[in-house]
Amino acid sequence: MNATPGNGFAPWLADDGPAADTGLAWLDSRRAQARAQVRDQGIPTNKQEAWRYTSLTRLLEQGFTPTAKAATPLEPRDLEPLLVPGLEAYRVVLVNGRFVPGLSDLQHLPAGLRVGGLAQILKSDPDALKDRLNGVAGEAQHLFAALNTAGLDDGVVVLLERGAQVERPIELIHLSVGMDEPRVAQPRHVVALEAGAQASLIERYVSLGEALYCTNSVLELSLGRDAVLKHQRIQTESANAFHIAGLYLSLGAGSRYQCVNVGLGASWARTDLNVRFAGEHAECDLQGLYLAGDRQLMDFHLDVDHRLPQCSSRENFKGILYGKGRAVFDGRVYVAKDAQRTDAAMSNRNLLLSEGAEIDTKPQLEINADDVKCSHGTTVGQIEPEQLFYLRSRGISAPLARRMLCLGFAGEILDCLTPEALRDQVAEQVGSRLEQAPID
Amino acid sequence: MLSVKGLKANVGDKEILKGLDLEIGRGEVHAIMGPNGSGKSTLAHVLSGREGYTVTGGSVTFEGQDLLDLEPEARAHLGLFLAFQYPVELPGVNNTYFLKAALNAIRKARGEPELDAVSFLRLMKEKLKVLHLDDSLLKRPVNFGFSGGEKKRNEIFQMAILEPKLAILDETDSGLDIDALRIVADGVNALRSPERSVILVTHYQRLLDYIQPDYVHVLAKGQIIRSGGKELALELEDKGYGWLGAEEAA
Repeated sequence: MNATPGNGFAPWLADDGPAADTGLAWLDSRRAQARAQVRDQGIPTNKQEAWRYTSLTRLLEQGFTPTAKAATPLEPRDLEPLLVPGLEAYRVVLVNGRFVPGLSDLQHLPAGLRVGGLAQILKSDPDALKDRLNGVAGEAQHLFAALNTAGLDDGVVVLLERGAQVERPIELIHLSVGMDEPRVAQPRHVVALEAGAQASLIERYVSLGEALYCTNSVLELSLGRDAVLKHQRIQTESANAFHIAGLYLSLGAGSRYQCVNVGLGASWARTDLNVRFAGEHAECDLQGLYLAGDRQLMDFHLDVDHRLPQCSSRENFKGILYGKGRAVFDGRVYVAKDAQRTDAAMSNRNLLLSEGAEIDTKPQLEINADDVKCSHGTTVGQIEPEQLFYLRSRGISAPLARRMLCLGFAGEILDCLTPEALRDQVAEQVGSRLEQAPID
Repeated sequence: MLSVKGLKANVGDKEILKGLDLEIGRGEVHAIMGPNGSGKSTLAHVLSGREGYTVTGGSVTFEGQDLLDLEPEARAHLGLFLAFQYPVELPGVNNTYFLKAALNAIRKARGEPELDAVSFLRLMKEKLKVLHLDDSLLKRPVNFGFSGGEKKRNEIFQMAILEPKLAILDETDSGLDIDALRIVADGVNALRSPERSVILVTHYQRLLDYIQPDYVHVLAKGQIIRSGGKELALELEDKGYGWLGAEEAA
């Protein structure tokens, strides 16, 4: 990538840039490597399959600056309107990519659970992270993962010791607050559950105001043998934001992982879910719901790598598109030659509420083993006139009837959200988005 | 309450209703019978405002208003209700939520206060009791995965909650065994009142053994060719439609 003016990420690519010297030799060398990788690879174009339907032009035109060291001073009450009513959680809050202890609620963590800011832990206990940072993502080929490595300065670390079972969810709130100029935050999250540990993680991307900014987050997650994690990701960024998320998952033998993705916000959002089975008999369940309206792009890339036998994966994504909204679903399930008795099922269903909406959906199964159970299916449809008429004949106005049918369509994914308070909040957000939707 | 005069309606280029007249007074139960293809369901659909029909002539007045001018929801607000021959499945739409939205939309349109969750639940329980229905109905998605009989019962339950002034039951008896038919008929009878009129659209006399109509009309080739009391239905049962010159449409 050339560090041309107008290239919003240039500041991170200079060898004398803001992120060049962390004081940790191993980290500095990884970052230098990431910078070199980005420079060598250059900017992907739409000739590359992973970027075929998603243009980077508008993102790279922005003149972003790295987030300043000091986050805007906020008080806990500023956060209140953004909370899930009644949700009791161990809460860790980042503002513009930086951990803010004063807004977090990490008192009384149970034995075996460690939650903290990445920068702090890099200072106080770097060895805890040395093997974990890039431990799952590796030298990711993905442009934005490399950029994140080159520019990472903070994030959240969640570590669960062997056998630790935490009832109360761990809530990661990534709050963006508009600054006088467009900023980019590149949080790096590291989540590791040792053998037999169980937890629930709620990851929420929220904003105060409708500013233009960019979040480029990477989450590395590893589950040890028989560990269980329920992971819920709710993206409700500002309507003008860019949101990039790369998830790198390593699932140990017998582990069970569920991820419920909800994408509602941002004007341009790209999420990559990379799943690698690291042991047999592991289960992975990826559920997703996305909405895209005018001037909005919602792009999900799934890459599920069944390299070992006897694992199962479910990929079930549903989208509602309206106005001139666009979405991309690119789901790849790879089954290696030796990955016998793999059980994989992928589904992507879309509801288009307008002529101008567009979905590019591409589910792919790449199967090299012969004793497997794999399926995939895609649908793109409209609201059924019969259903609409049925509701209207009962006195329900056409706009409300459409909303009810859309929520009914989304219900399957919404019902995966727990606790009920979170489900209700997201359902309401979906409902109010649909209320504003110009439907023709 | 309902006055249909010279109603003509097409599906595509084909004329189905060819000048139909019908007068329904308050509290009356009318049966509209006729062979397949005579236009029975078309009449029910045109009255409820379903798309796909073009009215080419005549008029329909309901409660003093030109019904054909109104959107389907506005017809419901005026007190019209159609029990569907094939109730539509709405996966993911909860029955309770649906009925509450419907009732409150109707109440709002009439300038009445909306019911809160508690009063609504009370109303639902009361109606379930009257109709001898199971309350598992409330938690399920509308008609989704319901048996044929359950769907028809759910239609009657909706009618009980929405309390229409005029209910049109479109072949509500079709596909029901005798027990299910009795339950549905009992439901309709429980909802009969001097304020509520009913149009029973049916092919068979069977339903009329359970719901006694005040009037019976025979519809053939898009027109009402004979009207009478309930004894007309018995005559039809004996002789079929042929003696009226109303053969099954090709």
